[in-house]
Amino acid sequence: MKHLLTGRGALTRGMLAIALGLAGACALAAPKVGEPAPAFTAQDSNGRTVTLAGLAGKTVVMEWTNDGCPYVAKWYRSGGMQALQRDATARGAVWLTVASSAPGEQGHVDGVTANREMRDSGAVPTHFLLDPKGDIGRAYAAQVTPHMYVIAPDGTLAYMGGIDSIASADPADIPKAEPFARLAIEAVLDGRKVAKPVTRPYGCSVKYAN
Amino acid sequence: MKRILPVLFAALLASLSSRCALALESAPVVSPRAKVTLVSSVDTAGPDAALELGLRFVLSPGWHIYWMNPGDAGQAPAIDLYAPDASVVSDIRWPAPKVHVDGPVTTFVHEGNVLLPFGIKLPATTTLPVNVAAKARWLVCKDICIPEEGVFRLVFPAGPAKPSSAAPQFDAARVAEPAPSPYRATVGADGTLSLRGDDVSRIASARFFPADWGMVEHGAAQPASAGDGAFRLALTTGPAFDAAQQLAGVLLIRDRDGAERAQWIATAGTPAARAAAVRRVADALPADVPGAMNPSPPTSGPAPPFLHAVLLALAGGVLLNLMPCVFPVLAIKALSLTKMGTHARAAVRMQSLAYGAGVTTTFMLLAMLLLALRAAGTQAGWGFQFQSPLFVAAMAVLLSAIGLNLSGVFDISGRVVHAGDALAARDGLSGSFFTGALAVVVATPCTAPFMGGAIAAALTAPAGQTLAIFAALGAGMALPYLLLGFFPALAQYLPRPGSWTLRLKQALAFPMYGAAVWLVWVLGKQTGADGVLWVLIAIVLLALAAWLFGVAQSGAARAGVWRLASVLALSPVFVAVGQIPDLPSQTAAQGEDGVQAFAPQRLAQLRAEGEPVFVNMTAAWCVTCLMNEKVALSRPAVRQAFEQQGIHYLKGDWTRADPAITEFLRAHGRDGVPLYVFFPPDGAPPVVLPQILTEGIVLERIGT
Repeated sequence: MKHLLTGRGALTRGMLAIALGLAGACALAAPKVGEPAPAFTAQDSNGRTVTLAGLAGKTVVMEWTNDGCPYVAKWYRSGGMQALQRDATARGAVWLTVASSAPGEQGHVDGVTANREMRDSGAVPTHFLLDPKGDIGRAYAAQVTPHMYVIAPDGTLAYMGGIDSIASADPADIPKAEPFARLAIEAVLDGRKVAKPVTRPYGCSVKYAN
Repeated sequence: MKRILPVLFAALLASLSSRCALALESAPVVSPRAKVTLVSSVDTAGPDAALELGLRFVLSPGWHIYWMNPGDAGQAPAIDLYAPDASVVSDIRWPAPKVHVDGPVTTFVHEGNVLLPFGIKLPATTTLPVNVAAKARWLVCKDICIPEEGVFRLVFPAGPAKPSSAAPQFDAARVAEPAPSPYRATVGADGTLSLRGDDVSRIASARFFPADWGMVEHGAAQPASAGDGAFRLALTTGPAFDAAQQLAGVLLIRDRDGAERAQWIATAGTPAARAAAVRRVADALPADVPGAMNPSPPTSGPAPPFLHAVLLALAGGVLLNLMPCVFPVLAIKALSLTKMGTHARAAVRMQSLAYGAGVTTTFMLLAMLLLALRAAGTQAGWGFQFQSPLFVAAMAVLLSAIGLNLSGVFDISGRVVHAGDALAARDGLSGSFFTGALAVVVATPCTAPFMGGAIAAALTAPAGQTLAIFAALGAGMALPYLLLGFFPALAQYLPRPGSWTLRLKQALAFPMYGAAVWLVWVLGKQTGADGVLWVLIAIVLLALAAWLFGVAQSGAARAGVWRLASVLALSPVFVAVGQIPDLPSQTAAQGEDGVQAFAPQRLAQLRAEGEPVFVNMTAAWCVTCLMNEKVALSRPAVRQAFEQQGIHYLKGDWTRADPAITEFLRAHGRDGVPLYVFFPPDGAPPVVLPQILTEGIVLERIGT
């Protein structure tokens, strides 16, 4: 039995992990494209309260972030995320950057730190939402950083998934990839149907409180 | 005091060498998170041979890499293969994954020791010996994720195929590999997976791992049911589910008799377009591939000629006496000086020779150890001993012990002596020898300005020359003391010992404590708060032992009991130091404004875009580096100039071993930190800055 450890022992441990893990995972009800996006109330980095209801009539982009994640770094150090933020907000979209890392976990920030990070990186979201309990993250089933969502002006979810099509931490892949999130944002702003409304998100796991 | 040094020094060397013995595996890429090698099941090849290769991971506890479908997050490893044209590559035969659940995020991972086997069929036209190289990228995660990469090379000589030393690992992987399922699998529009076959009633429970993203929800429960000659798993369909599409993946089955099986199942339907993890990209590695295992030639001009290097080493050695690293040891030397006034000239000469011998021998031993590590394929560089948290902790404890001795808490001579002449009285030559040895071990991590080039040149020279250069370095460092020994006229200017020597001795304890504080801080950077806790516990126990020992020496009744208590207090010191994790808990955060962590890809990308880049290679244990940052790099004028000129500031932290940084240092003809390189905009040739910086030097070199 011992020499079969890789297969058999792993199996037992895997099964155990499944049994333990499912209890938590079942609570997850992923939002659906075409249905109303989950409502939320949150504090932003400047202490202002932001509600989804208060943004009705606008295109809302949500971006999950964690400054220590190499996939997030790919998008900020290359300037790709900032460009996306500028282009979207210039056309009237509301951009919400969300940090759902729990206190003590990588990517957890307070308002002051979040503001400094945004200043340093030249990020221009409309609000940086602080979600240390992970409530918004769980409501949207945000799994990775960066995980992207687009909400149409009528409040329905129009896009959820990856920022682009090439799952890598290498900025050189950005120009080669199909820009899923950018295409979705432009489609919603133009009032068109999003061609690929659900794509594979990629990145680091969101560092939720356990 | 001097007699304790030989013992501690020997213990330190022993701890270093035992650590090195772990690294005797060929060409690994090593990080605190994973050790990765490319292995083959055979040692030789012929034309037309079908080779079985594998990327082998030894992951540190808690760290994992990802399966072919990483699940909700993460990324599977990818391998670019460089092998002869017309070679045919077969993809990784993935072992069964494990489920990893982080709240609502479910991923499929591999932990511990993992072999990812793949195949390559060489064309009949292959000429032997044949080179096969791989450039691999993998993401390794614990609570944080780090992308890593490495370049690996294998050379196969001609010969009849015989199993390599890695062959048993391939055999074990083959046994554990998911086997093609004997069951007929179908999936309904609601996502229910049904298995039919002769012995399907054997199955008690099962878990399905989809090979592709989006077909089923990775984290959803998979309720099982049986009936009508079928075993069913109610899967939750994912956003990309399509019943007409083939559903494929691994099924982990537990039978009613308790046996467990891993099977590969696939339903009928259009197979998913799945990107291969292994791709053959070219015949041979391009010459400029950056990577840990790909030594690139020095770019800072030809190596200095031998005699030149020896002279440079001599001068560098003298200058080493002025480097901040040496400061704690200056205390010991200052004490030796105060002794010299009282001794006979011949004795003074012998003492200084012994000190010089200690310095020189230790330099040569360090050089030999470094060469041996290199030969064993480890990416070690000058100052490497400070990359071991155990070594740093042991040094902190040793310096605390010396400080306590200087403070007069205890005396090593074992006899009650009058303090005034205690040190002048009977220090053997071995004491001087090991003082010299200690000075070198503590002082080396700060490469003095002249030493950077000399050391790098020395380590690439033939072994005889290498040792000569290091001997010159040692001679230079010992030179001031040798002069004192051989020109007694100089020594007569030294003050005569008196009661003030005791006070000086006590005062000199404080540089020792200061140095211990610095080392504890370095340890904190390497291992986090836990390591600091254990080293502080060790120091407190040591102080207790020293005090008990001192009581025994001060003529207490039942001195034996006190001495026994002292030994009892001393033994857990080693236990506490042993608790210090030799692998750091996580990468140090880059908390500084406007500073990016150094990565070769990042540098290459910025250079390709024509952006100006300033690279700073530093380490927490390098005092020169920290001073340079304080007096030059962190000054507002410098930071402002960086900002105005749009210079990207990349900082590499060599506090722990990092092959990418070692590679960069070597590519610039250096073997240690600090190293500062400015890459001007638009691809102009890089400028290497001096190792001692001022604001003016930096501003001038970046062309303000």
